[in-house]
Amino acid sequence: MRPPEPPKNRRVLIASSHALFGQGLRSLLEERKHARVEIVGMVSSLDEALKALETAEPDLIIVDYDDEKLNREEFLARFVEGEKELRVVLLSLQSAQDAIVYDRRTMAAAQIDDWLQERDFGANEPDGARQPQPAENHADTRRVKMNRRLKKAVHLIIASVITLVVTVALSLSWGHFRVLPEAASAQAVPIDRLFHIEYVLIAFLFSLIVVFMLYSIIVFRRKKGDTSDAEHIEGNSTLEMVWTVAPLITVMFLAYLGGDALAATLAPEPKALRVDVTGRQWTWNFTYPDFGISSTELYLPVNQQAVMRLSSTDVIHSFWVPEFRVKQDALPGGPDFVRDLRITPTKTGEYKVRCAELCGLQHAYMESPVVVVSQAEFDAWVAKESGVSEDPAVRGQQLTAQLGCIACHSVDGAKLVGPSWLGLYGASVTLADGSTITADEAYLSESIQDANAKVVEGYPAGVMPQQFIDPVTGQPISDAQIADIIAYIQSLK
Amino acid sequence: MSEKKDSIFSIGLVRGLVGMLAGYLVGFALVSVIRLILGFPIWDYNPSGNHYGFSEPAWVVGAIFGVFGFMLSVGSTSDWLKWANGQSTPDHPTDAFPSGVRRFLSASFDHKVIGIQYGVTSILMLGVAGIFALIFRSELAKPGLQVVDLQAYNTIMSLHGIVMIAGILIGVGAMSNYLVPLLIGANDMAFPRLNSFAYWINVPAAIVLLSSYFLGGFDTGWTGYPPLSQRAPLGMDMFFLGVIFVGFSSIFGALNVIATAIRMRAKGMSYFRMPIFVWSALATALIALTATQLIGLSFEMVMFERLFGMGFFTPDKGGDPILFQHLFWFYSHPAVYVFVLTGLGVISELLPVFARKPLFGYRWVALSSFGIALVGFFVWAHHMFTSGMASYLRIPFMYSTLLVAVPTGVKFFSWVATIWEGKLSFQTPMLFVLGAISIFLLGGLSGPPNATVATDLHLQDTYWIVGHFHATMFGGFVFPFFAAIYYWFPKVTGRMYNETLGKLHFYLMLPAFYVQSLGQMQIGLLGMRRRIADYDPALGITVQQLLITIAAFVIFASVLIALTNLIYSAARGPVAARNPWNSRSPEFMIPSPVPVHNYDQPVIVVGEPYDYGTNYAFVNIDPDRIVAAAPAAEDTAPDPSGSSAPASSPAAD
Repeated sequence: MRPPEPPKNRRVLIASSHALFGQGLRSLLEERKHARVEIVGMVSSLDEALKALETAEPDLIIVDYDDEKLNREEFLARFVEGEKELRVVLLSLQSAQDAIVYDRRTMAAAQIDDWLQERDFGANEPDGARQPQPAENHADTRRVKMNRRLKKAVHLIIASVITLVVTVALSLSWGHFRVLPEAASAQAVPIDRLFHIEYVLIAFLFSLIVVFMLYSIIVFRRKKGDTSDAEHIEGNSTLEMVWTVAPLITVMFLAYLGGDALAATLAPEPKALRVDVTGRQWTWNFTYPDFGISSTELYLPVNQQAVMRLSSTDVIHSFWVPEFRVKQDALPGGPDFVRDLRITPTKTGEYKVRCAELCGLQHAYMESPVVVVSQAEFDAWVAKESGVSEDPAVRGQQLTAQLGCIACHSVDGAKLVGPSWLGLYGASVTLADGSTITADEAYLSESIQDANAKVVEGYPAGVMPQQFIDPVTGQPISDAQIADIIAYIQSLK
Repeated sequence: MSEKKDSIFSIGLVRGLVGMLAGYLVGFALVSVIRLILGFPIWDYNPSGNHYGFSEPAWVVGAIFGVFGFMLSVGSTSDWLKWANGQSTPDHPTDAFPSGVRRFLSASFDHKVIGIQYGVTSILMLGVAGIFALIFRSELAKPGLQVVDLQAYNTIMSLHGIVMIAGILIGVGAMSNYLVPLLIGANDMAFPRLNSFAYWINVPAAIVLLSSYFLGGFDTGWTGYPPLSQRAPLGMDMFFLGVIFVGFSSIFGALNVIATAIRMRAKGMSYFRMPIFVWSALATALIALTATQLIGLSFEMVMFERLFGMGFFTPDKGGDPILFQHLFWFYSHPAVYVFVLTGLGVISELLPVFARKPLFGYRWVALSSFGIALVGFFVWAHHMFTSGMASYLRIPFMYSTLLVAVPTGVKFFSWVATIWEGKLSFQTPMLFVLGAISIFLLGGLSGPPNATVATDLHLQDTYWIVGHFHATMFGGFVFPFFAAIYYWFPKVTGRMYNETLGKLHFYLMLPAFYVQSLGQMQIGLLGMRRRIADYDPALGITVQQLLITIAAFVIFASVLIALTNLIYSAARGPVAARNPWNSRSPEFMIPSPVPVHNYDQPVIVVGEPYDYGTNYAFVNIDPDRIVAAAPAAEDTAPDPSGSSAPASSPAAD
């Protein structure tokens, strides 16, 4: 309880050239004793009012809004200039609701509403005891206010609950309807995870806005015949801050997740299979430089990363296998414009690479088969495509090219870092320790796997690698492959 | 004089078309003579192998001269020519223009006439582009090729895009030209002659653009990426020129809106008392003024490559094809905010009227338009996440792109808060506003998956993108545009549209659009690529394709209902009240249709624009509300002398 202040009468000045307005208002105000209004003057012109302002020192000036003789605007302009706290009410008899209030001290339009709430003189006075049945009145006002607040809160709670329910329902629906093709690559995993996260976020925001909108549409309709306006609510800066900052944090977090997922799709593996992909109007061509294969079908071994080296010979194309998710444009312009795309297929099957960048007339039909197979099937395909499946010597020739053997061992008798293979098989070889040995299968096999066991005279030891790794499998070369290499050497006569 | 007025040549459009034809002939002749002198062949020369009589340079120069010819004859430039000649002209030469329907077919300096001209042209363009859509939607209704061949498909699909864009830009011009002066209490735009010029240049531009169909078409989509666009037929040049000239319209129009909004506001209308639509028009104009040059530049460079063999984007000649995409999207991304900000302004403008509540967080909504415009300049490369630009660049552009969600979110939340606890009524404009919010929401929420690079690797260049931006275009432009048309129709024509037909339009278009948009998004996710004439039935999307096609036809039918309604009501509808919506806006304080010089007395702003729920007026001419004295700010004090405010009279340009 605030300490009671000595009651003070409000000093009111009435400005109107109509006697009836002033007298009527006076008797009305005097009837309401609890308002404690003291009429300190009745004026009918601006000049009189200004004079009365000095002499009568009113707290409140009530101006007849309908009075044409009083220039309201000038009146206000003059009255709002002073220093003293002063309130002006413009009253109209034509419509009971119309009243404009000016407070000399604050003047802000937004505050007029608050002032109007105090229109019932005395209600807000510290000493309410003077009002008739003050306690009940006070309680009534509070109850009405409480009720209104409760009603507002109920609306909010109901709409929030519906939002929550719809969000959960929508979120759980993920995976129950067909939106994404089968995920058939390692890169699809982080991407689909991000899709799921975003779907839940979208479900929440969509529910939030749509539920609150539909709720408003259903509950806050204008009733028939009601022409009045709704409650005057201009805004709420706290709320605006919340719905600026909360989305800001959310989207920044989303961007972080996006970067994370992108990094996951870009992660290179050291033993990636290289495929040079060339787009041209309107076909794709796939070259496997490691195998010397060129194909119109993209064969990929499952669970092994392939790095597509994308380029184009004419216009821009775009490499996209929906099941692999990732996409990259293929640009014309030579080596500077080659772009990499890493894909690790995880499911065997047949897919299609579909050109995703409009590339002219037959763009719609620029599709090529993609076949993901097991490693063994892939090897078989490579063998078949490179046409060496029959002849071990040819297989050996390719293997030696891939392993880089022929960088040191010539096949034409020239002396390089290592002994030439020409005519080697079956020949007698002088070793560094002076002994001689026939270059048979056992000797060659040993030399491939342990080069320093028997070093040929005139050649340095410790140069040749101790182990050879198959670029395709990542494993040391097999006995069969060694046999192929020996068959190749044998063929060099 | 009366005899002359009856002549068909009193119609500016007819004079313009004749001038355009003459311009073409002059251009053909000029290039042909030069080629003759240089010893090049005149006829049938075309690097792309298509033959259209004259050489490619002759067609290009012909089209440019044609546009000049049109502009010189239509009447927009006549005052400037007179000034150049030392003659003076009256400020408001209303007598010099024909009356009746001819008035709308001739150059006028009245912003309302120009606004209507923009509006009708826009609807025509959108209609033509819509018909293009129906053609290729029929093609896509089932797999295989049934309706058109590949070349026609590619051209129609490309034209659909660019004609829609031109139509939307012109529609934006319609709204800002008609509404900005009225909403700020001015009597015209700042530069009425420039305004007229900016409108009329759209007409020859549209003709040049559409002529591309008959000159071999072009198969690049509206993006016109080189090197494909270097190889495309002659139609490509017409596409480039059409866009460049529409771009001029955008730039001049934007200049005018900015000058008008800054200099011609009514007395007492501080920036934060401008109707919210003016805020969005201003933000839109700032983008259009500063970004449009880039698309013109990029297209011009490709044209130079085609005509003169220069190398900007060709690697063999030292160019870079990705550079084009940067230049192109530097405009074309902000351009989508040009398309939608105006529409979002309409939503914010209309919601308080039909909710009988103040616009929630007016300042936040106003500034969010500028926020979107500003951020919009830093996001262009999100169109290029798979383009092969430097890989790291994708990260900053992902962050900036997602930032767009923040000011956009402010708008959504403020809209919902505006209708919350309001007293809503559901006349046709309000239905379209609510529909617009829900659809723009769909468009907005389908954005983040495109913005995060990882998911965009899947989504880029698919129908998901098509669904996403059609949702933003319908929610950000089409629905608000129709809301604006229905809302201001009584103000423009003085007659009321038919409410039942208006609602029928809405209730057909909204569900049809949802079917179309969600269908597009789904098939995109499942593997449907953009811009393809045929698709693999193995994708399992045939049913959806058929549904999308049906939805497209329903949308078109609903628009036909709307047009019937509007045309009939403009002539025969019931006479509209001065203020049918009980709005606070100044244009609803004056008679319908708006008198020639808008406000017969200077408008003084005495309150807040959206103070529903109070009895105070916004402007000093509101007979329904208390017109209080203007508040304290010195420049807003009432002017007792009643002398005319200089701000309200249009400046001469």
